[in-house]
Amino acid sequence: MGQKRYLSMTVITLIIGFMVAVQYQNVKEPVVRDTRDTSQLREDLVKEKELYLSLIREIRSNEEKLEKYETERSQSKEQILKETLNELKVEAGLFEVEGPGIVINIEHVNEDLLLGKEVSPISTYLINKLVNELNQYGADHISIAGQRLINSSVVRNINGQTKVDGYSLDTLPIEVKIVVDNMKVAEKLYNRMQVSSAAEEFFIDNYRLRISEPKLSITIPAYQESIRIRHMDLAETGKGG
Amino acid sequence: MWLPVLGLLIGLFLGSLADINIPVEYSNYLSIAVLAALDTLFGGIRAHLQNIYDEKVFVSGFFFNIILAASLAFLGVHLGVDLYLAAVFAFGVRLFQNIAVIRRIFLAKWSTNKEKM
Repeated sequence: MGQKRYLSMTVITLIIGFMVAVQYQNVKEPVVRDTRDTSQLREDLVKEKELYLSLIREIRSNEEKLEKYETERSQSKEQILKETLNELKVEAGLFEVEGPGIVINIEHVNEDLLLGKEVSPISTYLINKLVNELNQYGADHISIAGQRLINSSVVRNINGQTKVDGYSLDTLPIEVKIVVDNMKVAEKLYNRMQVSSAAEEFFIDNYRLRISEPKLSITIPAYQESIRIRHMDLAETGKGG
Repeated sequence: MWLPVLGLLIGLFLGSLADINIPVEYSNYLSIAVLAALDTLFGGIRAHLQNIYDEKVFVSGFFFNIILAASLAFLGVHLGVDLYLAAVFAFGVRLFQNIAVIRRIFLAKWSTNKEKM
């Protein structure tokens, strides 16, 4: 009996000790007490405010410097060169282009298919003629079946397949997207294409051009490969020109 | 006899090692629970010295007092009345009474021992 009595007492004292220790830890006051009076607090406040002001001043001067650098940078030759480079890249076809334009679908004439005529690959001559005509009427950017046409693009017949820069055009219909400067030019291009001689020549080869109404926004993808320039030399500097 | 003291020391040791952080809003409850526990403990010691110690009374009193005190504090927080002060007062008074009785018992024992010598 005595053993058991002490056991329960021990358990309870253990719990009490635990609780007291936890409470003691929680109540423990901070090591250094704040014993400043009002005037000292006020002085400290003034000091902190001065620090705050000086920090603000520093921030302002840094921002001014930043702005100065920014304007210097934007007016620098480097920036102008970069902008020119970007413009040239857009012109060369290295960026995706979006703008007003029309879409031309080259389709096979179905009636002939029904009669059992063989489908011949579209001739390079026709494609070249179409592209020339489009360029003549003010097209700025052209893509054929998702391939961007650039200055050095070629349309060739390789092993009986018509290819644009190496991508064959054997699945009909072929989608030709044209982006122009503005809506006015787009309408003009549309009207010209309606009566163009290219359409007739396509029809002789059993193809039909379906020309869409001018659209406000047409996206033409960027040229996918890198442009390699051979046979070109750096111009010598310092000799005018 | 030394077992309870050992338990207390172990409890203190464990508590200081445990590093338990109690949120400020609950520290009231713990403090009042500690007070209730101390009250029960001293009551137990007094009963032991007076030879009227009953283990059931002691153990049930310990837990019941703690729960009662904590619920009083809880009720006080929700009613906007500092009800836990009532518990503090009651336990404080009883603590003093118990300690006074223990002191007298020890004094009496001491003086009888002295007379015997």
